[in-house]
Amino acid sequence: MARTSNEATAETGALARRRRQLRDFVDETEPAALVTVGVTVISLLASVAGFLAVSPLTIVPFGVFLTSAGYGWIRYQGLTAKVLTFSMMVSTILILLLITVFIFVESIPVIQYESTTVFGVTVPGLRLFTQTQWDAVSPPIRYSMVPMIHGTVMVTTIATAVAAPLGIAAALFLAEIAPPTVREVIKPGVEILAGIPSIVYGFIGFTILSPWAADQFRTTGQGSYLFVGIVVGLMALPTVVSVAEDALSSVPESMKSGSLAMGTTDWQTMTSITLPAAFSGVSAAVLLGVGRAIGETMAATVMLRGVPQLTKPLYNAFYGQATLTSLIANNYGEADGLQMDALFIAGVILFITVLFISVGAQYIEWRMHKKLGGDI
Amino acid sequence: MSDGTTSGTDVSRRKFLVSSSAIGAAGLAGCTSDGGSNEASGGGGGSSDGESSDDGMNTELLTAEGSSTVYPISNKGASYWNANAPPSDGEYWGSNDESTVPGWSELQTDKNLADYFAGLYGFEETGQRSDPAYNATVSLSHSGTGCKAVRDGLVDIGNSSGPITAELGLSDSEAEEQFVDHVVGRDGQPVVVSSDIYDAGVTQLTGEQVRQIYQDEITNWSEVGGPDQEIFVIGRAEGSGTDTSFRLNMLGGADAPMPGVNSRFGQNQQVAEAVANNDGAIAYMALAFVSDSVQPIAIDFEGTVFEPDKDAENTIFDSAYPLNRDLHMYTKITEDTPSGTDLREGAFLNMFLTDFGQIVFVEQNNYIPLPTKDIEAEAEKLPEQA
Repeated sequence: MARTSNEATAETGALARRRRQLRDFVDETEPAALVTVGVTVISLLASVAGFLAVSPLTIVPFGVFLTSAGYGWIRYQGLTAKVLTFSMMVSTILILLLITVFIFVESIPVIQYESTTVFGVTVPGLRLFTQTQWDAVSPPIRYSMVPMIHGTVMVTTIATAVAAPLGIAAALFLAEIAPPTVREVIKPGVEILAGIPSIVYGFIGFTILSPWAADQFRTTGQGSYLFVGIVVGLMALPTVVSVAEDALSSVPESMKSGSLAMGTTDWQTMTSITLPAAFSGVSAAVLLGVGRAIGETMAATVMLRGVPQLTKPLYNAFYGQATLTSLIANNYGEADGLQMDALFIAGVILFITVLFISVGAQYIEWRMHKKLGGDI
Repeated sequence: MSDGTTSGTDVSRRKFLVSSSAIGAAGLAGCTSDGGSNEASGGGGGSSDGESSDDGMNTELLTAEGSSTVYPISNKGASYWNANAPPSDGEYWGSNDESTVPGWSELQTDKNLADYFAGLYGFEETGQRSDPAYNATVSLSHSGTGCKAVRDGLVDIGNSSGPITAELGLSDSEAEEQFVDHVVGRDGQPVVVSSDIYDAGVTQLTGEQVRQIYQDEITNWSEVGGPDQEIFVIGRAEGSGTDTSFRLNMLGGADAPMPGVNSRFGQNQQVAEAVANNDGAIAYMALAFVSDSVQPIAIDFEGTVFEPDKDAENTIFDSAYPLNRDLHMYTKITEDTPSGTDLREGAFLNMFLTDFGQIVFVEQNNYIPLPTKDIEAEAEKLPEQA
């Protein structure tokens, strides 16, 4: 009882302090500045409300916002800048939130359509994952996500198998072995490679690699997860090299010198000191590469077959059907109704997957900071 | 289209020079309203107007409206017509050192484009580019709207991708009494195979075989007389118009299953590239993309063999070929024109029935040109040439 009243006092104390701060702020600031900032904030809120209501009058509060912000910028720059940067931060979050909510809301109809009853309980959306048939046109119409998830997993696995060893080895060479001049030339060069548009890779894959592979492996027509995975892995490579190199070269020199002073060779220092110390950073690099591979659209779309079905057997990488991203890219133009909603489901799955990968990468980074202290 | 814009720019530049005080914004405004300035320039060639009215020739603006499917053909034709390019142009009309328009060998004239076609029906030639004897304009709406507009006399030509009987709910005889049906091209997809299959002797399939291939009942070319090779079956984006019409006309229903499809592509270019790059491929796509490595094949529908040859008795260019539909331009029968097609309409429509028109306006827009016998039949519906 005593504790609760204590907490209550503390809360009212915090609240009172807040109120006092606000009052001080209001007292200290010029009334004219307060009015300007107030008008800016209120007109911005009104613009957001107008935008959400799809009102043609939105332009009025938005005009007021621009004018008052412009006036405030000239007269009370410090305060206005504070308010503006804060509102920009809020709008960024709001916009991203609205997009997320929209994707989820759009996918609801197909989740309802693909409901299944298990032990007398209706589970919405379960059939999306419990059967493997996708057919948007001829009955029975089914929108299974399993083939696309399978495709994404295949492509990502192969891409990681290409990008991780190559990327880590290259990063190790750049960070530890290469002379400084070589590193200074190669590092920016690799980063420039990351900027090559994915359609260029896709185009080379579609016109040269895929027909060649179909010929060599005697598959029926072109399009294989193997080659999409290789191409996507090469695309993710610059990201992996660049981030892993940063992690490796930020291992404190003192740790390496200490190891060398104990009489180890360079290679022993690399494998037993540098790599373990930078393990978290290198993992984050690989995870970023994986994230890029999952989200890769253009190369996958032009190189894959675009027919959602599982390959037989499941590990057969010589046939490539569809990934979550290529499904959306192939069908958005023609889809309507439930088929369109099914594309949003693919978007939701991608969103959740990439979210987990980003959180994972952040967590690893946080652990690295904790483990090695302020040095990294 | 681009030529139409160029001509508009020319006119506005001339205006700009005359009214030297005009500011940049006015010049821009002149550019954007190129239709208006074209009309103005058409009217501005007053001398030719005056002379032609003496001959009793009608040189009003020729108007057309309707289907978005026919629009590319009709609008490109009108743009070429309004530009009235001279034979030295090479790109849009005639021939020069750099290029020659398709079908030029049968035309061989020293007149400008619209002057030539209008001249065939007795119109006075202007000899000026961007200034034809009369201008043509095409509006974009729907097949039904285009048919209604020509019925109500709002436009001269009604564009429709479906027969007017269906659009306006008329019987065949009613439609024949009121309208003349000019077919200018066809929309559809020939079935194509890769060159290795074509060279191995598979140059004809039955409709039933195509159905079995797309429904996974035939999976090897050896089952239809070809080499021992798996069939690479290419389809179009699921649920797209081409996909639906193929299911409807070949597989027996708009929702017929297609379990045999190995690969789906959204665009004709991708289909052509995939067929060219892979052995043992079969696909359906717009005719404009066929080449030596992408060969159209003959299809046998219930005993009728439709051949990929314009001059054959039954061809894949026919309207009877199940994957095709006619693209119509309707004109109305009135008291003034009991034949249904006046000289203005006749001259304009005749342009589409030449080799030049069929290639440039029909085939280059990915539609199917008319076979020789249909062109002859269509030409008979037009008024007598002068």
